[in-house]
Amino acid sequence: MSNDFATGLRISASGLSAQRMRMNTISSNIANINTTRTPEGGPYRRKDVVFESMPDARNFGELVTSAPNDSLQRVQVTDIHVDQNAVDRRYEPDHPDADAEGYVAYPKINLMEEMANMIQATRGYEANVSAIQASKDMALGALEIGR
Amino acid sequence: MKQIFDKTTDALSAALNFRQLRQNVTASNLANAETPGYKAKVVEFEDALARAIDLEGLNKDAGLDGDHLAIGTGAISRSKADVYDNPEVNVTNDQNTVDLEKEMATLQENQILYKAALQLINKKLGSMRYAASDGGR
Repeated sequence: MSNDFATGLRISASGLSAQRMRMNTISSNIANINTTRTPEGGPYRRKDVVFESMPDARNFGELVTSAPNDSLQRVQVTDIHVDQNAVDRRYEPDHPDADAEGYVAYPKINLMEEMANMIQATRGYEANVSAIQASKDMALGALEIGR
Repeated sequence: MKQIFDKTTDALSAALNFRQLRQNVTASNLANAETPGYKAKVVEFEDALARAIDLEGLNKDAGLDGDHLAIGTGAISRSKADVYDNPEVNVTNDQNTVDLEKEMATLQENQILYKAALQLINKKLGSMRYAASDGGR
């Protein structure tokens, strides 16, 4: 476990990329809210990121020797969960993707929920930006010692 | 014989180190603000540092004869910060205990006090430089 200013920057950067990844997933969900065709077949399925904390390390060697409950943890997106059951069947017999009974499988995506998640992701992103700003100001201040 | 850097400088540099740690731990909390199961951590060092400064004050120069350098007991540089899971939290559905607002406040407070310590060190060095330059002549 190292305790220099680069550690803080590295951890905050991991938070930034995790939140950005989440933002991209939300955008994808909103953009595909009415998509009924996908390369893997069937309607678009709602996606969600899975965040996981892991001990901060500069390299693999440090990671191996670090304790799992180290006090400095970075965040990582370890999985993008695809909700296979999120399908909304609507009766639209004229739709080209309608099945024999006239139902079309749409993605089950709640726009309000996605918007709420988007706000949360933005706030998380901004919090990490503030942390980076603070780390940077502190390091720059330390460089001025004795000037 | 006195060394150039006195107890105050030692204490200030120790405080800078601890505040750097607090900054990093807070950054870790903010990065993991939405990680399921993550427990918010706090850094506590004020008491340990205050005790170390006291200890150094009492024992300084003790048992040394004139030919030896007084280098203090080293208690300040050996003092350690405590990092533990914050007990004063509300646990949410996903077992995450990070309070975003509280962490932001810690971040700002820590940054201000870090800068205060920096200013004190600079003042100290400034007055030393003043003395070394024969009163600014």
